Amino acid sequence: MLALIILFLTALVTLFVGFAKKPLLTLSLSVLGLLGTAAALICQWYHPSDFLSSYEGVNMDGFAILFSLVAIIFTILIIFSGFEQFKSRLDHTADYIGLLIFSLFGAIVMVSFQDMFMFFLGLEILSIPIYVMAGARKDDPLSSESSLKYFITGAFATGILLFGIAWLYGATGTFKIYEIQQFFMEAEQISSLAYVGLLFILSAFLFKIGAAPFHFWSPDVYDGAPAPVTGFMAAVVKLGAFGAFIKLFTIAFSELYDFWMPALTFLAILTMFVGNLSAIRQVRFKRLLAYSSIAHVGYSLITMVVLTNNSALNLWYYLFSYGFATIALITVQMIVNDREDRIEAFKGLGRANPFVGFVAVVALLALAGVPPLMGFFGKFLIFADAISQNPALIAVALLNSGIGIFYYLRTVIVILQKPGVDNEIEQSEFKTTPLQLIVLGICVLAMLFGGGLLMVH
Amino acid sequence: MVLATMLKSGVSLEFYVILATILFTIGVLGVLIRKNAIIILMCVELMLNAVNLLMVAFSTYHGTGDAQVFVFFIMVVAAAEATVGLSILVLLYRNRKTVDVGMFNKLKG
Repeated sequence: MLALIILFLTALVTLFVGFAKKPLLTLSLSVLGLLGTAAALICQWYHPSDFLSSYEGVNMDGFAILFSLVAIIFTILIIFSGFEQFKSRLDHTADYIGLLIFSLFGAIVMVSFQDMFMFFLGLEILSIPIYVMAGARKDDPLSSESSLKYFITGAFATGILLFGIAWLYGATGTFKIYEIQQFFMEAEQISSLAYVGLLFILSAFLFKIGAAPFHFWSPDVYDGAPAPVTGFMAAVVKLGAFGAFIKLFTIAFSELYDFWMPALTFLAILTMFVGNLSAIRQVRFKRLLAYSSIAHVGYSLITMVVLTNNSALNLWYYLFSYGFATIALITVQMIVNDREDRIEAFKGLGRANPFVGFVAVVALLALAGVPPLMGFFGKFLIFADAISQNPALIAVALLNSGIGIFYYLRTVIVILQKPGVDNEIEQSEFKTTPLQLIVLGICVLAMLFGGGLLMVH
Repeated sequence: MVLATMLKSGVSLEFYVILATILFTIGVLGVLIRKNAIIILMCVELMLNAVNLLMVAFSTYHGTGDAQVFVFFIMVVAAAEATVGLSILVLLYRNRKTVDVGMFNKLKG
């Protein structure tokens, strides 16, 4: 709770400091607040009770603390890497950062909720700032279009989610997730109302995480939104939504596992194929990232299909590794800064700016799951955990990883090519800022040595 | 006769559930079929209000007040969403001079 209060105050202070029109002051205050939140969470880890811990709606358990810490790290990285863009509109620097922090607040509520009230509010606090942020480039029709698309799909998903919660309440008579679990354990016959509710809640989650067949909005939204917001959606929003997903389904719906497991198996396979096969023919970089994120949602869903004691940790580690790679790539995309966001614009990056090129290559290889990198360990944990229970699913996942390697390596080749072979594409200058270099440095260190976390794991 | 018995015993839960489901379906169909973004927004509101009705009906049925409190949260969030949604629409109208969602097709591939 203390962490949430600090975070809320940070967002508020950031918004008001914006009046001073001093971007650096805004940046340092917000990052300080985020670090304070992280510190409060770490204290919570060692002393599990604080002065508001008797409140039942939110419980900062180990699961919530791990997910929240990663969300905070990602948000700091995104604020750093997008600072140049935020700064370019002096009136709104603080708005960008403040809204990102409010959204992070929602993500943290979403991984620590104990009843449906907090879950629903967390989801909305997470989503509503992102609707605004997606349209942050006010004079760009593409940005507004992506904002509207995200808003309509998001609001629709909210309606469906609430309808599901209402049916579930009708069946069980409670909103608390542990009481719902208790109810299903003791019930002799589960009424069909509960199944209807479960299906509606499941579809709403699939909308939010962008799993097939509800993925159609995500490429458009990722494409049109400003790059830092795209990074935030891919890293933090996905983390929050997946945290809530696994929490709700492993606690409240654990007794109905036999009912939702086959559906999720099918959806995981469908999502992997849709993501990977559509990514092959993409020519724009953010769309490629969007389809790759759909594919990664497919891999992550495997942790939910095959529930073991390690599922939540595996999911956490996977999203951790995925987030670092995506943030690195989004930062590289901002450095390349092509107006039409073509993958060809990356040509010559490796020679013009070896460090940035190196980070981009490492990030792409990490997403592809090449061994010494963090992405490999993430995939390895998930597959190794699942292979004894569901070998067919893992075979499909491995096949998909193979398809994935194709388009990631194609992009790697573009980056390593000689610059200026054809004259149609003017060369960009690959200008970097010190903050972006810091972000790239942190990401590349994490990707190269993140496997070491497994020692603790 | 039917009306008289209904008035005597109060309207049973089924009627509320059916009404809420019909309203929700109208809202969903509206979002999926209509082309005007403002109508789509209204249909989303209709979906949320159908949920409110369902919540209150179930709350009375179970005899607990939880869901009635939930309704207030839904109202607040619906208001916040409507505000954001309308501002996005105004922004889009300035850029594109239309609110027909069929015209918003620049992002594809």
